[in-house]
Amino acid sequence: MLWYKAWLETRARFLTSLMTLTIFCGVFVHHALYISCSDTFPCAQGLIRPGRQADLYFLLMVTQNYVVIMWVLAVVLLGMGGIVRERALGTSSLTLSLPVSRARLLGVRVGMGVLQAIALAVAPWVTVFVVSRLAGLPVFITQVGLYVLLLVGGGLVYFTMAILVSSLVTGEYTAPATAFGVVLLTAIIFDAWLRRFNVWRLVTGDFSIDRTTYLLSTHLPWLGILASLSVGVLMLLASTIVVQRREF
Amino acid sequence: MMSDNVIVTQALSKSYGSAEAVRGLNLSVGQNRITAFLGRNGAGKSTTIKMLLGMVRPSAGSGTVLGKQITDAEENRELRRRVAYVAEDKPLYGYMTVEQTIRFARSFYRDWRADVEKKLLENYQLPLRRKVKMLSKGMRTKLALLLAFARRPELLILDEPSEGLDPVGVEHFLQALVGRSAEGVSVFFSSHQIAEVERVADQVCILEKGCLLVDASLDQLRQFYRRIDLVFSSTPPEREFRITGVERIQTTGRQMSVFASKNAEAVVERAHDLNAVSVEVVPVGLRDIFLETVKEN
Amino acid sequence: MYLYSGTVTAMFFKLTPTSGQPLYLQLMQQIRHAAETGALKDGDQLPGIRTLAEELVVSPNTVAKAYSELEHEGLLELRQGSGAFVCVKRRTRSLTDQVHLARRRIRELIQRLRDDGLLDEEIRRAFEAELLYPAEIARKR
Repeated sequence: MLWYKAWLETRARFLTSLMTLTIFCGVFVHHALYISCSDTFPCAQGLIRPGRQADLYFLLMVTQNYVVIMWVLAVVLLGMGGIVRERALGTSSLTLSLPVSRARLLGVRVGMGVLQAIALAVAPWVTVFVVSRLAGLPVFITQVGLYVLLLVGGGLVYFTMAILVSSLVTGEYTAPATAFGVVLLTAIIFDAWLRRFNVWRLVTGDFSIDRTTYLLSTHLPWLGILASLSVGVLMLLASTIVVQRREF
Repeated sequence: MMSDNVIVTQALSKSYGSAEAVRGLNLSVGQNRITAFLGRNGAGKSTTIKMLLGMVRPSAGSGTVLGKQITDAEENRELRRRVAYVAEDKPLYGYMTVEQTIRFARSFYRDWRADVEKKLLENYQLPLRRKVKMLSKGMRTKLALLLAFARRPELLILDEPSEGLDPVGVEHFLQALVGRSAEGVSVFFSSHQIAEVERVADQVCILEKGCLLVDASLDQLRQFYRRIDLVFSSTPPEREFRITGVERIQTTGRQMSVFASKNAEAVVERAHDLNAVSVEVVPVGLRDIFLETVKEN
Repeated sequence: MYLYSGTVTAMFFKLTPTSGQPLYLQLMQQIRHAAETGALKDGDQLPGIRTLAEELVVSPNTVAKAYSELEHEGLLELRQGSGAFVCVKRRTRSLTDQVHLARRRIRELIQRLRDDGLLDEEIRRAFEAELLYPAEIARKR
């Protein structure tokens, strides 16, 4: 019942993030679409000019820019916890006396987090898809799918970074503070010096978007995604070693 | 019958920097017995137990529990399946209800006893649907103990188990402990409650500053430890009494108190030879044995 | 052939962990005493090891050792699965009379010591002191 325990521990964070992301996307896109066809703003002067499909897809790109920030913050929060934190809480003696390996304990926590991260990526985009349909300006489902894929493929590395931080830092507030600090730091470094490897640009489609139609190319930046996921895997390996070597 | 030891350590040691928590510990805990582990705070009891269960890595030495090497991660996981452990702080997940906690623990162990679970739930009157963080300290202790008792492990390791229990709770706990022992479970528990240890333990190990000072059966301790109170007509000749078995001599005026771990008869004989005015032999309780052993070191 | 009631005879036992005597010896003495005074009769069944251990809140090994030693002495018969049964032989019955006589003698002695001015506590300690060291030393005196 380790999955059940992981669920109970992350339930509140997950559901809050899920609600926030879904409501935000729903309201944001709804507002953007409907505002273009109201009495005050005749369609011709709205956000989405009639016959200009590019405007619609430009809106999707903007949405992803907002989503990625919230999603990364959410998955970083989901990555907090684990047996190192349990030691400060006083329950590590119970968890570690169970007949399961520390690697398995970490594995279940990561597994639950990944599933939740995927759900947090899918839910808001499904909302966007539905709202766009209801507004009479349907978007291609493939585009929605591509945004989800970019988000998860490029962004999971931040979840794994949070897992690693939670294995090294014990404080209830110092651990998330450190993790958020890393997010900020990498954002700055990527933007200033490593523009070609900027994972934020990868996720928001900068490397695969057509500048006229604003459609994402189905030729995803696989190399970038692979690199990001590989770094993620390395972080998980590091976390496993840290947790196995630690004394409680 | 006593051939297999459930816990054996060889020169087990643990240092944290320059501080030595456990020094060259050679412990053997026998099968089918109740062994008590006594020691002051900071003597190294909890550290020893944590090493046995793979939570802390020994600095030196080795050990086996139920025949499995404690330093091998895989073997340690295997032995944890057959050992029930309750840590000193009675850890429980605050966000789970009593029912969820029991279901959670049960899912890991094939040796779960539903009948014992039911009986203890009734005895302890634990509210099934209440979250653990809302329980009183006494109820939390009872729940933590229930998780260990509702199983049939080969070895039960308890760290200060009755701390936080009211006298009725203590009686229930000791009865459950004795019941488990009768079923063939070996028990290894550390405690500060000397009175409880004196009632139920078969073997006593006293740990001080990381070293094992006493490892004897309680019956042996009862039979051989004695205090001999002597009165002399002049200054008591302390030097004459430093013989085998004598641990400590206290002299006040014309009175002398000899604390012996064995050989009390020789002390009495010597006292008579030296014309002691009064000779009284008094049995020593476990509390005094513990205090004298620890003080002297 | 043994007559037995089919139920376990309820007994009072009181073990003192601090008295300097191993608990199993105390239990043995109390069972013997019960057999001598007639509280336990021939054929009576004593509680099982686990039951008695839980009742007295002592280690089952204590009860097991006491039962085992008494079986050695012939006072108890341990039947696999059924429990421990008392077998009081004729010889033990005469012990009851001996014990009665001893009690009377002790009563008289205690009365005389009290007349001499000794307090009850002093009398008790004197008895314990005499009992606690072996007869050889006493003989040497």
